[in-house]
Amino acid sequence: MNTNHPASEPQDAVLSVRALYKSFTLHSIDGRTVPSLHGVDLDVRTGEHVALAGPSGAGKSSLLRCVHRTYLPDSGSVRLRTAAGPVELTTLGDRAMARLRGREFGYVSQFLAAPPRTGPLEVVAATARRRGLDRAEARQAAAAALHRLNLDETLWDVDCGVLSGGERQRVNLAAGTVQPPRLLLLDEPVSALDPANREAALELIDSLAGQGVAVLAVFHDMDAIRQLASRVVFVRDGRIARQGTPAQMLEAAA
Amino acid sequence: MSTTTYDTAQPSGIGALVAEADAGSPPAGILDEDAKREIRRACLAAVCVPGYQVPFGSREMPVARGWGSGGLQVTLGVIGADDTVKVIDQGDDAGVNATNLRRMIARTTGCGESADTREATVVQTRHRVPEEALTDRHVLVYQVPVPEPLRGVQKSVAECARMHAEGDYSAMWVSLYEDIVRNGMITASTGYPVLVGGRYVMATSPIPRWDVPRLHRAEQLNLFGAGREKRIYAVPPHTEVRPLTFDDVPFEVEHEPGGRCKFCGSDDVYLVNAGTEGAFACSDTEWCARVQAADADTAAHRERAPLALLPDPAARAGRRAAPLVRKTPADDAPAPARRTRTGGPEWALRVDGIGKVHGAGGASAVPGTGPEHGTAISPSTGAVVAAWDVSFDVAPGEALGLIGESGSGKSTVLRCVIGDEPATAGQVHLASVDDGASEVLALPPAVRRRLRIDSMAVVYQDPAAGLDLRVSAGGNIAERLTAAGWRGYHAIRRRAAELLDRVEVPLSRMDDPVHTFSGGMRQRVQIAKALATEPPVLLLDEPTTGLDASVAAGVLDLLRSLLSERDVAAVVVSHDFSVIEALTDRTLVMQTGRVVEQGLTDQLFHDPHHPYTQRLVAAARR
Repeated sequence: MNTNHPASEPQDAVLSVRALYKSFTLHSIDGRTVPSLHGVDLDVRTGEHVALAGPSGAGKSSLLRCVHRTYLPDSGSVRLRTAAGPVELTTLGDRAMARLRGREFGYVSQFLAAPPRTGPLEVVAATARRRGLDRAEARQAAAAALHRLNLDETLWDVDCGVLSGGERQRVNLAAGTVQPPRLLLLDEPVSALDPANREAALELIDSLAGQGVAVLAVFHDMDAIRQLASRVVFVRDGRIARQGTPAQMLEAAA
Repeated sequence: MSTTTYDTAQPSGIGALVAEADAGSPPAGILDEDAKREIRRACLAAVCVPGYQVPFGSREMPVARGWGSGGLQVTLGVIGADDTVKVIDQGDDAGVNATNLRRMIARTTGCGESADTREATVVQTRHRVPEEALTDRHVLVYQVPVPEPLRGVQKSVAECARMHAEGDYSAMWVSLYEDIVRNGMITASTGYPVLVGGRYVMATSPIPRWDVPRLHRAEQLNLFGAGREKRIYAVPPHTEVRPLTFDDVPFEVEHEPGGRCKFCGSDDVYLVNAGTEGAFACSDTEWCARVQAADADTAAHRERAPLALLPDPAARAGRRAAPLVRKTPADDAPAPARRTRTGGPEWALRVDGIGKVHGAGGASAVPGTGPEHGTAISPSTGAVVAAWDVSFDVAPGEALGLIGESGSGKSTVLRCVIGDEPATAGQVHLASVDDGASEVLALPPAVRRRLRIDSMAVVYQDPAAGLDLRVSAGGNIAERLTAAGWRGYHAIRRRAAELLDRVEVPLSRMDDPVHTFSGGMRQRVQIAKALATEPPVLLLDEPTTGLDASVAAGVLDLLRSLLSERDVAAVVVSHDFSVIEALTDRTLVMQTGRVVEQGLTDQLFHDPHHPYTQRLVAAARR
């Protein structure tokens, strides 16, 4: 635990981020350093939906990726409360991290990162299996999730690579939310959806909070934030500029 | 071209001198005492180690090599003046060869000679064991044409010696398997392989299958001499001699249904074709004559005849067309038990500080090499430091990637772990070996080879490195299974079919030699073979390199689903980020023989830190 930092962790926080720094060193351009996060502190509690808002390049996605360890933070602390107790993710061994990822928290990126030549049902079922379901249960859960997002059944065994952007995004969201873990990281999960599908997706995300899932999400679209978020965190230049309820924040922005 | 004619009618010159000398001298032994001592020493060693081929200093004999020079030397080595010799050629005492050999032996040693097995003490034979009962008074000496049972499957003499030393007879089993697959039965007639004393596989050359049971717990001493190959081996009395045969494919002797000797009427003897169509005669002319003269105990003979081993087509493998893939658990022959781990380490494979230096200097050649020096060539000794200080471990259900450009040392690391080349430094531990306590690299080569059967399997870039291309797809899998102790032909067939089905090789191709397969199909067979014994560790060396893109994609998909459905610990070596990304959770990046970065595979791809990794990632984003 980071004792240097004044902010203490709330007891019911699923995720506690403290003093998180991240920068990129580009060796191909004379070792140029590109800063990304400048000391982020953030807690996400059970059943809470925290929306990250802010201009492009502010560090919203980087924050999600640092939590997921797709990016390796320079310094700071990311603590996840798991079934077995709190775990520091920034220094966790690679193997343990790989195991934790599937089971204890999920990450839905903006773009589907499905293995090539696999179909939606297989992709979603694979995630469900990683989260502890057996083969038959996993297929059932996957089918239910795809139904819920209105993905046409004729597409279920079609290579994800040939799906449209919106279809891919729904597969991605179905995979992320099937058998939901205690923490979900969502990176613009509805950006490519038409209004009807978008509504179904937002409903699905909204229902997660009711199941006790903590959500940390990036949305560009203020309507979505207004509809889903219990708290809005405004990020600018790699720092949390301000935070509050959607009403407060959107008024301030306006 | 010129022809020379010799006048043989009038002995003159040298011929006359030789004739004069022969007439004047007493019968001289053909072998001097040193030669006999050499032969007796070899015979004693052969008796002490039944079935083992003892080399000996073979002499030139007055018969050509290949005409019984080995048998003759053994006979002359063991016979004494108080012995009686009998010589059989093709079961016949009266043939020119047999007669000449018998006379020569008798005249040069002073022993007695007889065509009656009951009187003989030393029987030299080509092709048969006499039908008459043999006792502890008999020494049976075989003239051996092909002493090496592995000759048909392995050309290298050194490799044959290794296989015998390690009891590694899976190649022999594969040849039996292939024979049954092709012909529905074992077709080898003479030289049927037997396991002697539970240890050595021995060729029963020159006798037919009919006589093979006569070696099992025999009363007589059996000595086998091969003059050309300079080998003597033995089956002492009361030794276990079991024909190599699958548990569910019975050993059969030769038999002609309804066949009967046209002279003596026997139907319980080894018969040969006799003249007219469909007529047979006893191969053993002595026995035939005595049966006709009513001087033979035919009741006792019927007891020893291998009538229980007559061919039974109903029991044959080919006739039982059991479905190969749909299995019913009831008729599943039990597979050998696999070691199951309890407790032990978290990892299945651990590699500590592996290093390989080609050339002089060993560890002292290492300073001055590596990524920071930009070279793998030692400035002090000129040696190539192919890999140094590489460490990792892999847990069950996990896949680890090793990525780097050609020459970065990744394949070297894998080869050192497998044992394809000796490591200069470092340690390897396998959880399946003493719960990880033993250092694998320090184990004897024979033990390490065994590890590759059931503890650690490899899939090479080149299928030819992991497969015998002359052997069928099923036979290649049978090799791994028989090495692991499987002895049920049908169980092996079913397992092979199940594996080939899993890797999507059509079962109609199962019995085709692998050299008739395409590259992608070969790679699938190699993968099936690697998985045959469900080893806890699987090493993949550039498994899709060299295949064209669509085929490579298919193999990659197969590997991905195979890894996801198993608790195997996998190491994947590749220069291709897409392969590493598709298969692995964690990755080590190697450059100039060193690990320069490691981490979660997606983190290395999205947030590479080392300049080299950044270059690799940039190159992968075509």
